[in-house]
Amino acid sequence: MKKTIITLIFLFTLGVLSFGQVTDPLISNCAINTGAKAKYLKDFRIQLGKAGIQSDLRYKANMSLWKNTKYRFTMCNAENSKGKLILAIKDESNKLILSSFDKKTGKIYSFIDFECHKSGLYQISYDFTDGQPGSGVGVVSMIK
Amino acid sequence: MKGRVFLLLIMVFFGFSCRNSKSKAPEFVFPQSDSIPVSEAEKLSPEAIADISKNISSPVEIANLLQTLQVPFSQTYLAESIDANKQSTNFDKALKLGILGADLGYLNMYEKTESSLDVLSSIRKIAEDIKVGQFFDFESIKRLSKNKSNLDSLLFISIDSYSKIDKYLRSDDRGQLSALMIIGVWIEGQYLATQVVNLYPNKMLSDRIGEQKIILNDLLLLISPYCNRDPEFTSLCKDMQNIKDKYRDIRITYTQGEPVSVEKEGGLTIKQTETSVVTMSKEQLNGVIEITKNVRNRLILNN
Repeated sequence: MKKTIITLIFLFTLGVLSFGQVTDPLISNCAINTGAKAKYLKDFRIQLGKAGIQSDLRYKANMSLWKNTKYRFTMCNAENSKGKLILAIKDESNKLILSSFDKKTGKIYSFIDFECHKSGLYQISYDFTDGQPGSGVGVVSMIK
Repeated sequence: MKGRVFLLLIMVFFGFSCRNSKSKAPEFVFPQSDSIPVSEAEKLSPEAIADISKNISSPVEIANLLQTLQVPFSQTYLAESIDANKQSTNFDKALKLGILGADLGYLNMYEKTESSLDVLSSIRKIAEDIKVGQFFDFESIKRLSKNKSNLDSLLFISIDSYSKIDKYLRSDDRGQLSALMIIGVWIEGQYLATQVVNLYPNKMLSDRIGEQKIILNDLLLLISPYCNRDPEFTSLCKDMQNIKDKYRDIRITYTQGEPVSVEKEGGLTIKQTETSVVTMSKEQLNGVIEITKNVRNRLILNN
């Protein structure tokens, strides 16, 4: 009995300790495959269920972008993801700056380069096509 | 004839006034109050705090700008006087973890990976001291640094380690240490930029320094809940407030325009035609350089 408890405590401790060290392979694979000239800055891990009545992209975060910098926004999808990850960026006045989904043609871009000339806080929004459930990662990097 | 001239004058007038009103948007200003009331800061949700911590400009972005401007690497900018074994309080440890993280970013970007091993050892020691060592992938970073193999992987693992530490500290009710780490990263990045602009005056770099006004308020919001916690925090809050005061009259204005898109190699490139314009006098820049140097040097000498 004592041995079982000690083993359980050991396994629990090992689990807790190793939990922090694991990096989601979807993030690391996406981050290191953004292109030879790209330098990783940050990532957004997105996992969403099916949307109800949808008007706007559901996952939102703020990010400061700086002028005279060229950013690359890369979208990667998990293998089992039903929807495809899409991105939209708005500025502080809620003006749409870019979208990786072309509503007219239905085309989805897997990455978008953005030449920033106005420093400020931007709203980065992600969702999956047609509000479907999905799993993916958005990586932001700089390119020269 | 008189009527035509009058009409022409009206058209010219409206032509100019329309262009003016279209090309200039309101400037960026700090919120009304001079300092942030603690109660307001305490209202910040965990999501808002997470957002702010993700927002702060990465030192990698500053180092990237320095490389673009072909500024040579210099060891003298680094916080070499930090002795990881002499950090007595958690306040010191978390702050130094941030400062050293910014130095690591600078070293990595310039591929000075041999020098980065010393910084890495210090980071490891401090991270273990505040019980976040398990999130710092020391062995992978060391291996990538030694091999000089893949800068992108090196940057990813380094930044990812810091993001995990930050997230864990906040979830572990140690938000004050996360805030300190972020302030440390920012102040060292700011020190790097201001020291370089002092030696190599450059409009692009001085603009980047001036534009830090945009995120300064967020930094203050982040530490405000802890300003009355102990004398160390009170002093740091005062330092940050002094930095903010130096930014008060620096102006950031915007010109408007529509983004232009170009499809290239399967991807899409968006070129922004809007711009931000920084108006900062030499005296104002010198004021920022001076206060940054004083604050940063006081923080790193506090061994």
